[in-house]
Amino acid sequence: MKEQILERLCNAIVECDVEQAAKVAQEALDASIPAIEAIQNGAAKGLDIIGSKFNSGEAYLPELILAGDAMKAVFDVLSKALKEENADSSAQLGKVVIGTVSGDLHDIGKNIVAALLAVNGFEVYDLGINVEPKTFVQKAEEIGATIIAASTLLTTSMPYQQDIVQYLIDSGLRGKYYYVVGGGPVTADWTIKIKADGHGYTATDAVEVCKRLVRSGQTPGTFEPVILEYYQG
Amino acid sequence: MSLRTEKILRSLDRAYNGPICSVKDWDTKVIPQTIRAILKKYGLEKTCDLENPINCDDDLADQFFRAGWELALELGMLNVETERIIKITEEELIDTLKHKPKEIILGSGSDQVILKARKPEDPTPPLLAASLGIVVSEELYVPIVEGIVKYKKLVDVLHGPSLATVYGRKIRSGTPYETLMGGYEAELRCEALWRAGRPGMAHTGIAGAVTEYGHLGGAAAIGGPGNVTMALCPVELKTNFAVFHRIMMAINNNMRIRAGGFSYIGGYAGPPEGAALANIAVDLLIATILDSDYTSSYVYDIQLLGNCGRKALWANSIAIQAVSRNTNLIRNKIVNETGGPCTDMFMYEAAIGLMNHCVSGASKTTQPRSAGGKLTDYLTPMEAWWCGEVFKSCAGMTRKQANEIAKKVLPKYEERLSNPPKGKSVLECFDLKEMRPSPEYQKLYLDIRKELIDLGMPLDKVYEEF
Repeated sequence: MKEQILERLCNAIVECDVEQAAKVAQEALDASIPAIEAIQNGAAKGLDIIGSKFNSGEAYLPELILAGDAMKAVFDVLSKALKEENADSSAQLGKVVIGTVSGDLHDIGKNIVAALLAVNGFEVYDLGINVEPKTFVQKAEEIGATIIAASTLLTTSMPYQQDIVQYLIDSGLRGKYYYVVGGGPVTADWTIKIKADGHGYTATDAVEVCKRLVRSGQTPGTFEPVILEYYQG
Repeated sequence: MSLRTEKILRSLDRAYNGPICSVKDWDTKVIPQTIRAILKKYGLEKTCDLENPINCDDDLADQFFRAGWELALELGMLNVETERIIKITEEELIDTLKHKPKEIILGSGSDQVILKARKPEDPTPPLLAASLGIVVSEELYVPIVEGIVKYKKLVDVLHGPSLATVYGRKIRSGTPYETLMGGYEAELRCEALWRAGRPGMAHTGIAGAVTEYGHLGGAAAIGGPGNVTMALCPVELKTNFAVFHRIMMAINNNMRIRAGGFSYIGGYAGPPEGAALANIAVDLLIATILDSDYTSSYVYDIQLLGNCGRKALWANSIAIQAVSRNTNLIRNKIVNETGGPCTDMFMYEAAIGLMNHCVSGASKTTQPRSAGGKLTDYLTPMEAWWCGEVFKSCAGMTRKQANEIAKKVLPKYEERLSNPPKGKSVLECFDLKEMRPSPEYQKLYLDIRKELIDLGMPLDKVYEEF
């Protein structure tokens, strides 16, 4: 019975079925399956499958996004139980506020990173495109984020990535959030120059950078940035 | 009111009163589900042939065209701000194709060139616009552009690099800095063309303009019917008011309209077949909805951050051939190299990508995108010259010949696509005073050129015949 429910939960995520995912999550609760177990041995396995399929070219961006939505539906159902089990922090890697910075309307790169973060266990708050620097910080404060992630495809919008760091410093919040930057023109040098905490060349790299940051336990802004970038010469 | 204005206003009106659809539903449901269904209906699933990256099958190209036609009519384009769909009728699409010119004149005086619709294996050489909007230092802008446009046989139109700064200040998109940059870039472009002795060469807008501010800042200086504006639509089959602003700017300044929309393998359109199908549809839709004189759409692979791998080569070949064989639309098609200047990687990627576009029927390209366009000053005139040499020389080759060459060259670089070399910056591998590549870069060029000639690429043609 338990194994069957966990398998169905996994399948609901793989099939990107939001309603079914929420329904099976409720069945897991009704069957007294610990919420953390439903996440780790059911839904998270589904996310692993989707993530692997995307990386191997067997699944595409819509599946990633919808699987993330299905996972969110599972968390919505299980959140109360996770708190009671005192497992809400271990169930997810952390909360990420993500967006494309001011003056930039490009979103596909940011959407891929957001979807991949969600299927890798982060709770993602996507602010969309053309986002003012302070809006990133305000949202991070509002939801208790772990990471702020800022994307741009435009060199002329890169200064706004720097503005976010400055806003964090000026408002005394730099030590509170890991700050990662990405997008077409973003390089290792730029990441170091603006004193961000991390940067990944691809969307998959960005997820790995975020995982390393949250697992490091270090205070944001106090260490060498984590950079996965291939243009090294 | 001109016919063009009437058509654009009709599209804009539809952006306010067309069927409602949220961006999220469009991206995650409407696009993937419709593309999947049409691929299935026309028997086009799993037709991507990675062993033969340049398609040689006319029937397959025609079947893709029929499917793309249906996709265009069924979907239309979503306007992002109003979240309404701009749909077109079949009569409007037929009317568009019936009345599009088969050739247009770009530039003026002795620098004038004719941009023509081309068919697969067409012997007419295509045109090359250089460069893509790679960022270069303010003080290097004029000499780099002067070098890029130096040879009339190789480069026809100035697209141009982007400025890193404006009078030493950072350029912030959507601010007065960008507006100022528009005028400043126009001034520098004209200076470089004058220095190169090609003052009448066509411009394709302000390369550094990322919002309408930059375009408007420079449009007055480079307007007129010999010049082109550039409006790029969001992925997939979407448009927005920034695009409409640029179209209106073209109308106001009597410029040609080049509009594009990209299709991503692995993105909302799904597999290579889906991206190719979307790319065909977007060429048809943009020509109708935005009344472009020519389109600039191509397929890109989100896993490889470029389009020189097998999947993207195949998808671009089938999409270009489908539209070339069945319409007279003039199309600009771009190759996204990932290797940087002074690398064999860049030269192989450009050679194979451009050979594919040329034999498939593209009319024009914009090149290069050395180092993926990612690094400041990683652009030299040499890459533009190489692209011109390859793109024009391949005119008249058969697709079969091109496919055989691609199969031999791909193994030389494809394993490095996810880990490309950044190469050297302009000051490390090019002498901007003498306008010559460094000895190392020259040797690399000569070696790879010989290698490709030995494989059958007719690279001498550009110097001997044109």
